[in-house]
This record gives sequence, C-alpha cells and structure tokens, in this order.
Amino acid sequence: MLLGIDVGGTFTDAVVVDDNQVIRHAKTPTTHGSLLACITQAVDQSLIGLKSSEITRVALSTTIVTNAIVEGQLAKVGLLVIPGPGMKIENLLPVPPAILSGYTDHRGRKVAGIAEHEIRAAFDCLKDCDAFAISGKFANRNPGQELEAAASLRQQAGHRHISLGSQITGSLNFWRRTNSAYYNAAVWSCFQEFANAVEAALRQRCIHAPVYILKADGGTMPLSVARTIPVEAIFTGPAASVFGVMTLACPAVPSVSLDIGGTTTDIALWQQGLPLFAGQGIAIAGYPTSIRSLRLRSVGIGGDSLVRWENNHLKIGPQRLGPAMALGGEYPTVSDAFIAAGLVNFGDRKRAEQAMAQIGGASLSFAETANFIIDQAATQIVQAINALISEWTAEPVYCVADLVNTSAFKPELVIGVGGAARGLVPAVAQKMGIACRLPAGGAVVNAIGAAVARPTMEVTVRADTAIGEYTVAECGVKAAVPRLRFEMPDVQQLGKQYLLERAAQAGIAVEATELLQQEEFHLVRGFRTIGKIMTCQLQVKPGVLTTISGFSGEGWQ
Amino acid sequence: MKKQLGLVFFPAFDWAISPTHPERQERLLYTRDQIVEEGLLDLPQIQEYKPRLAEYADVNRVHIGVPAISPLITEAHLVSAGGAITAVEAVMKQEVKRAFALVRPPGHHAMRMVHGTRGFCTINIEAIMVEYLRKNYGIRRVAIVDTDVHHGDGTQDIFYHDPDTLFISFHQDGRTLYPGTGFMEEMGSPNAFCTTLNIPLPPGTGDEGLHAVLDGLILPALADFKPEVIINSAGQDNHYSDPLANMAITAQGYAKLAEQLKADIAVLEGGYSIEQALPYVNVGIVLAMAGLSYAEVVEPDIQRCPGQSAATTAYIQEMIQKWQGIWRARHDLSRQAKLAAGDFWHRNRSIYYDDSGIYDDQRERVRMCPHCVGYHIIESQAEHPGQGLVSAFAAILPRFACPQCRKDGQDAVHAAKRQGRYQHYFLQDKEQDFLEKL
Repeated sequence: MLLGIDVGGTFTDAVVVDDNQVIRHAKTPTTHGSLLACITQAVDQSLIGLKSSEITRVALSTTIVTNAIVEGQLAKVGLLVIPGPGMKIENLLPVPPAILSGYTDHRGRKVAGIAEHEIRAAFDCLKDCDAFAISGKFANRNPGQELEAAASLRQQAGHRHISLGSQITGSLNFWRRTNSAYYNAAVWSCFQEFANAVEAALRQRCIHAPVYILKADGGTMPLSVARTIPVEAIFTGPAASVFGVMTLACPAVPSVSLDIGGTTTDIALWQQGLPLFAGQGIAIAGYPTSIRSLRLRSVGIGGDSLVRWENNHLKIGPQRLGPAMALGGEYPTVSDAFIAAGLVNFGDRKRAEQAMAQIGGASLSFAETANFIIDQAATQIVQAINALISEWTAEPVYCVADLVNTSAFKPELVIGVGGAARGLVPAVAQKMGIACRLPAGGAVVNAIGAAVARPTMEVTVRADTAIGEYTVAECGVKAAVPRLRFEMPDVQQLGKQYLLERAAQAGIAVEATELLQQEEFHLVRGFRTIGKIMTCQLQVKPGVLTTISGFSGEGWQ
Repeated sequence: MKKQLGLVFFPAFDWAISPTHPERQERLLYTRDQIVEEGLLDLPQIQEYKPRLAEYADVNRVHIGVPAISPLITEAHLVSAGGAITAVEAVMKQEVKRAFALVRPPGHHAMRMVHGTRGFCTINIEAIMVEYLRKNYGIRRVAIVDTDVHHGDGTQDIFYHDPDTLFISFHQDGRTLYPGTGFMEEMGSPNAFCTTLNIPLPPGTGDEGLHAVLDGLILPALADFKPEVIINSAGQDNHYSDPLANMAITAQGYAKLAEQLKADIAVLEGGYSIEQALPYVNVGIVLAMAGLSYAEVVEPDIQRCPGQSAATTAYIQEMIQKWQGIWRARHDLSRQAKLAAGDFWHRNRSIYYDDSGIYDDQRERVRMCPHCVGYHIIESQAEHPGQGLVSAFAAILPRFACPQCRKDGQDAVHAAKRQGRYQHYFLQDKEQDFLEKL
C-alpha cells in the first residue's frame, strides 16, 4: 500500500493506493504554523480502518521548502565562490560572496590554485553563519577545488552544513549552481527539523516504510537524499498534479493537461506518455537555479476567478474576491457560470442566475451569459497553451539537424483535473478542435501523484580522452579513463554503472534508466585528432509505480 | 522593456568542412561551455534567439552562384545566414538594442560570384543580412567594420561599387597573410570611392595599435559617413593565441573595441584559437555589447601575449596619418578617379578558392554613369579541379539604376548570350530584387 500526501496552500490531502485502486482519501485544512499537524491529521484520517504496517511507501509533496523561501525563514549562509576570469558575479547572487582565487578551466584543468589563507580570512567574516555554500566555475568538470575548499573550511566550520555547487548538478552554469548551492544551504536545517518530525510521527504510527519527498520535476527522492539536497523539494505542487494525471489518464498521443483550481490553471504538455521538462532550472526569488522542473505555465483563471466588465470588456480573473455567489460569495465568478449553464450541480442555482443577470443584463438569457463567460475563460486558457507551445518551439538548438528537422507540436487531447475542470475543459477542447478527458479522481490528483511518482536520480559523466580522465560531478569523482580506446558506448556504460551505484546507495530500486543528453566531439590539434570529449547525462527514468484504474470510498468525483 | 543584447548563438555542432578542418564541430564548443557556464544566457539584459533559415531569395539578392547557389551550399550555410537575419530582425523590431550573431560557418571571404568555398566561406552572411535590411526596412546607408585578422575580401568585393556601404577592414598585412589583399590602395571603384577603407596592420599589432586605429580612423570615418546601421564582422583571429595569424590582441582589446564601436549588429567571422581565445573573447564581446562590465574577462595565459614593439607603434601612427590625409581629400580624389576611368572602369583579377581548389580569372566592368552608380558586368573563367573550365557572364543592375543603365545592362547579357562564349549567363536586378539565369 502506497501512502501519498500533498500539502497544498489551502488543503492537505492524503491517499492510500492499493493494487491500482485508491482505497482511501482524506482532506484537511493546511495548518501553516506547523505543517506537521495537518500532515499527521491527513495521514490518520486516511489510515482509519487500515493496518499502518501494511504501508510500503510514504511519499510527500510538501511546501516546507517553498514556504521557508517565500516567508524568508532562511538560515544565514556564508557563500564562497571560485569564479576565475569572466563575468563579475558578486552582485548577481542572493548574498554578497567571499571571492576565492583559483580557477578550473572549461576542460576541468586546474589553472590556478586556491589559497588556504583566503578561506581562513573568509571564515573570519562569516563566523556567525549557520551554514555554508561553496561554488566554483567549471566545478562540474572537476569538483576538486570545491572539495579542497570545503575540506579547508570544515576545519573551522565544525559540524555546520556545507553545500557544494557540483553536488547539486553536473550541468554547466556556474551562476545557477551557485544560487542552487546557496538556497540548499539556506533551507538545510529547516528541512532537517521537518524530516526529523515526519520520521518521528510516522514511527509513532508504526509506519516503518521508506519515506520519499517529491521534487519539482515530479520524481521523488528518498528522505536521506532529500536531507542532502533539500532545495530539490521546492515547488512540488504542480509536479504532483502532473504525475497524478500520468497515473489516472496517461495520454498516448501529444496532449495538454490542465489543472484548474480556484484561482489558477496550470498547463503541462505531453509527448510519448511523459510530460515535457523545462529547458532551464527554476528561478527562486528571481535567482535562476539549476533545479529541474516540468515545462509548465500558470494562467490566472479558476473557478473562483472574478467576472466583471471593465471598459466594455468582459474580464475574468486573475483576482478572486471570495467564493462563487452560488456558494455565498458576493461577486459573480466563473463557477457561477458553470452552475447557471448546468455543467455542474452544486450551490444555489438561483444565486448563480443572479450572478449571470448582473453580468448579462436583461438582453441575454442566463445560459447565454454563462456560455459567454465560459467561452472567454476558455479563450484565455487556449492563448496560454499556445504561448507555452511557442515558447518551447523557440528554444534554441545547437545542431543543424535539430534546427532543420523540427516538426510542430500538435496536441490531440486535453486532459482536465482539479475542481473547475469539468466546467472549462470541454470548452477549451472545443476551441482547439480536439477531444478531452476528465479522469475520475481529479480532486485529490496531487496526493495521488505523490503516492505513485517513481524516484529519480541523475549522473553526468564527462570523459576527456586527450587528458585521459573522466568526471562524475554528482558523485565527486574524477578518475583516469580506464583504457586507451574509450568510446561513447563505454561512457554510457560507465554512466549507467555510476547511476545504478548511486541509486543503490540511496535505496532506489531502478526499473529503467534513460539518456537525457549526450555530446561527442573530436579534439583536433594541428590537423590531428588527439582524443575525444564525450558527455552523457543519464537518469533513472521518471514515471509512476502503478496506474490507477478505480477507487473505493465516498465523495469520489 | 527592450533588452540590451539579442544573442543568436548557433555553434553548428554537427557541421564541418572536413573532420580536421579549422571549421569543424569543435570550433565553438569551448565558447558554448564558457557562455553557458558564466550564465550569460540567463542575464536579464540578454535574450537568446534561435536562428531562422535564410531563403534562397535572400542569398540570390547578393550572390551569383555558378551554375547555381544551391549545389554549392549546405543547410548550415542557410542557418548561419538566417542567424544574421534573425539578429537584424531583433534589432529592427526593437526587441533588443543590439544583436550578436555568434554563428558559423563564416562568410566574409565569399564574393558576389560564387564558384565554391574560399577562406572557409561560401556565402557572405553579413552581405545577405545587409541586403535583407535594405529590402525589408528601407535602410540605405550601412557601415561594415571587419575586425577579422584576414582581409574581408568577399565583403569588399560585394560592396566595392556601392557608395551607400562603408566597408572598413583592419587586418594583418596582406603581404604576410591570406588572402593577400586589403591594401590601402583598394578604395572602391570611382563611383564608390573611399567607401572602402583598408588598414593593413603589421604582424605583432596589439591592443594599443588596434585602439589607435579605432580612435584615429575608424570612429571619425563612421562619424563622417553617418550610417543608419553599423555592422561588425567580428572575427576573433587577431588574438595573440590564434594559430593561423600573428597578431597580439587580447580579449580586453576586443571587448573594448565592441564597447566603443557600438555596432548595432555583430556577426562572428573567423577565430581559430578555439580554447585559448574564443571562450574569453566571446564572453568579453557579449558583456560589452550588453553594457556590462568585462573587466574580469582575462585569458588565463595572458602572460603569453607579446607586447607591441616601438617600430610597430610608429608604423601604425604613420599609416593613420596617411589615411587621415586621404580621408580629408576623398571628395577631390573621387572626382579625379572618375575622370581617369573614362566611360567604363574595369579590372582583371585572379581569385583563388583555397578550399575548393578553383582558380577564377575575372574581368569586371562598371559603367561610369553620371546619373547612377552604373551597371556592372562580371566575366568569369574558372578552372575547377576535375571539371575543367566553368565560365559565366553576369550583368548586375544596381539599386537606383537609371533607365539607360538598366537597358544597357540587360542588353549586354543578352548580347553575350547570343555570342555564346560562356556557359552560364545571369542577370542580377537589385532594383527589382531577382536573379535570373538566362
């Protein structure tokens, strides 16, 4: 039995999944002061009548990290950077960094050494920091100087946490790695406390199953991994929803999924049964990071969106001024239109019709006004879908073949989940001239997504046969290339080996791995080929542990 | 809000002239590494653009491919020319203040008539961009400043008879480097006199010499010419570490040049020190064009850069003074050149295609028309390896051609076709914007 928990802005949901069935679900208000309270309450509710010892996995999508950042509850972090020559970075970071000398170049070669005394001097200024982050340019190509600096800092920093840029990702982008390392250090102790509390609470309930935390890209990570890279647990809500869609209605054709809630619609795109991933990491408080996420777009339209006239134009959202009039609110909303149009059946229909009269006046019938509102809302959503597709299409590529052989993304299906999906999704699909699906279970889709999302993990192997070395940044490894003839298949093999090893260490069972990207270049010097640079990034394939084909229990919609 | 810099980055990681050629997949690998690693593409001042594909019509607006352009080029050429067009569009649509097309393959050795590839170039991406700009945005006066170490002989050839294009090239002296041209005496044909400025620099010229030329000659000439658009053919092989040349410019020198030149659009040309120079020079140029500090962009091996000798400094000073004198007297000199030419200006040239092994014997004529810049005839006899002689006759009708020149140019190509001494006949009508093969 899988237990999935989603801590949302308003409600916290828990579901128990057993044999392709959601057998329990619970909803409780989110307690913002102490997230543990609502988590335990949701867990307790969902486990009524079940044996807690039968839970085999607990997975949590939580706002703990997001809240810490949004509410500014960040630890004081001492940031040390090794930038070498290049762009001035000091004014671009969340805190002013201590700059260390030393430089590793684009091939991962140490060009200038770091100086111990600078690290001591930096520490003198950063003595009172709670945690530290170290980031070096091209440390993903050779983590050596970050590790050296960390070892030196450790002597003074004692037990305090030190985050390294290279351990967060093996990808290029010093600026993003530095921001990521900073935020990782800043939320580190807050996350440890939370993790301790969750573990204790589960133990009390005799749940000894392994605990997983959802990431922004919809993969999960074992709690032990989350404790070292807590920043990955940011902005997980939309990812939980998308993976919920995957298990409820995994689309075989190119598709769009919409999670339409009270105030917003979250849009995701699907190809070959998987959601598309964002080309770049997410930004935290305006600082770009290397934290991977899904390719999503949010538009300010939901069931509670305010409907009104402004300068002879019908405006919908993004404001929300309370619930629908049919539910006791004061102003007309999109939900009132659903009710007046007869698309959903809840609330006070008379009040919904009053709302339509306020908007449509005497010349239009209630139904005409309602359909007009729904049409306007659907138009805005379709525009946002098209913008998301164009943004993806406009993303640069660096090979001629990729530029010339592009085919347009044409969705064939719209999938809708969330409270307001029923009222809007058919209108969106109709405008796009394609089919739609509204899978059952959409109301607790986030908790379902968390329950079933597979753990993921990645490694980046980069071999430079001219230098005779390879690196695996995420593992802090730099070693000699094992033999003279070392080709791309060997690099992939090596990458797979490291990935499986790393996954095993974290307790992740690997079903399948996949290649995220690879590059191969011949090194030519003086008209002679002297070696190859080969990079490959592999990951444990994301997906869901099971598909959901049914449910038991009441209140399912 | 308008961003400072649009960056069209296209390293063509799957394209090479041949596996070990300087123009190979690896060329911009380390530049990509550095640009991405610095985080330049994430800066709020910079917008990255995906290049579009140029159309054959864009290419034929400039070039006369023999027997046609399509068999001579690959898709990569259309992408790099398209990248330059994408850059110019971003600037003209006011999405960005300036743009840099950091693309390959390069183009500045490609001349109007194209038989093959020379100096790694097949089609001239700046020239295609300039003519696109004129066609689509009604721009007339354009300045191109070529800062590649090799003389931009292709760009010079294309605009040699065009008084609306100021072409300035500084480069390592043609007596010491490919393509062996670009001397001060090459100043444009009489109707476009002194809109071609060549500044051949001695080997060993460093940042000091480069900036003396910029301050003493290039910037004042630009101020006098008053171009609507300034383009930088931003080759990077004047760098001290370049394996194909002998100059001593640094990343700082190039970045400061970009900062002071204030080009609307820069387009990458050569530069083959792919590890020691390109990552730093490109980051320097990108930062300078984006209006950001490039003070810390210094090559790790900067101590290898030789200083500029006193003799070189003196030589450059003298040349600047000589050029200043010519520039001041340019209107008089132009009148004299027109008088000396008579009814037709003409020249014979031998053009070598080093990458294709083609020798072209070219004869050019331009009518010295008092009403327009005059129609232009190219007669070409090219010896292709394994293929023998490939010959062509082309008449080019310039923009704003007078009715007489339009008629005479058309008559000339039809008459030549009747005589039948050539294999291919072309009419390039720049006014009506077409290239016709007769």
